[in-house]
Amino acid sequence: MSAFNTPLFALFLTLASYRLAWWLYERSGRHPLAHPFLVAMVPVIITLLLLGISYRDYLAGTAVLQFFLGPATVALAWPLYRQLTTLRKIWGQVLVYILIGAPLAAGLAIGLAAMCGAPLDVIGSLAPKSITTPIALEVSRMTGGYPALAAGAVAITGIVGVLAAPLVFRLLKVSDDRIRGLALGLVAHAIGTARAFEYGERAGAYSSLALGLTGLLTAIALPWLWPWISALLQ
Amino acid sequence: MLDGLLILLAFQFAGDLLVRTLGLPLPGPVLGMVLLLIALTTRAAVLQRVAPAANLLIGNLTLLFFPIGIGIVLEWERYSKHGLALLVSIVAGTIIALVLVTALLKLLLRSQP
Repeated sequence: MSAFNTPLFALFLTLASYRLAWWLYERSGRHPLAHPFLVAMVPVIITLLLLGISYRDYLAGTAVLQFFLGPATVALAWPLYRQLTTLRKIWGQVLVYILIGAPLAAGLAIGLAAMCGAPLDVIGSLAPKSITTPIALEVSRMTGGYPALAAGAVAITGIVGVLAAPLVFRLLKVSDDRIRGLALGLVAHAIGTARAFEYGERAGAYSSLALGLTGLLTAIALPWLWPWISALLQ
Repeated sequence: MLDGLLILLAFQFAGDLLVRTLGLPLPGPVLGMVLLLIALTTRAAVLQRVAPAANLLIGNLTLLFFPIGIGIVLEWERYSKHGLALLVSIVAGTIIALVLVTALLKLLLRSQP
């Protein structure tokens, strides 16, 4: 059995499941519920359970992928720079919207979890759920959260946001692509931004900008404010 | 590709170094991202080479973190007693945030065509 409990097999399994998940995602017409995050997990979980490989061993085997979350975080500067250049005239104004919207999204996650009696480590995992995963994982480490829970919360937030968006936009009678894009990027990060591009280039550009600025502002403010927030919750 | 990766690692390292040296309450890679963003605004041609590596990583973000997310299923006993809080915070919290943010943006952008 030992040939299966190796980084080689863990990486092969991970990449093969990811490839399969993308194929299914494309076949589904990119339906949010068929998002690769949800689908790629299934073959990996089944295989690990069948072979009796622990989550710890599997994570250690795929450590090289987690390493690249750091460079991926730095890489987010590139699309952000591009959107700041494209939307040069309005990014200051967008920054103001994000300064209001990002604390709202994080505050709702924290407040609702606390109201339901969640302990501090769970709340710390949920607080960065509206920002893109590589940044959210970094932030959750500083708020004492569980990486697995933080990653899952971010992905489900994106999927719920994308599923709810058409109804929310219809009920609030929103047809402005700037609003659609900003709201999707602010609340539903990269998954929302992918959806925003389906409304058009303009919505996508606004969404990318909102995604980048929300991630940046939350990453700067949340770890800094966390000692006060956690004191307040205790 | 190689140049891009080199740029990303250099800025991540610079961010990490600053965070550790100054004891900043900030993730190192996030500071690396801020430093790269500032550097990019100088329009230095060499930094444009970050694009291939950056696009590859960003295009495959899910590959980098879905193995971590598997822990929710495989270690569910750790989270199961907080199921309600997770459901309310993630599902209801996201929908309420989307409604409030959209309504707010509609109000703020009303005057601008």
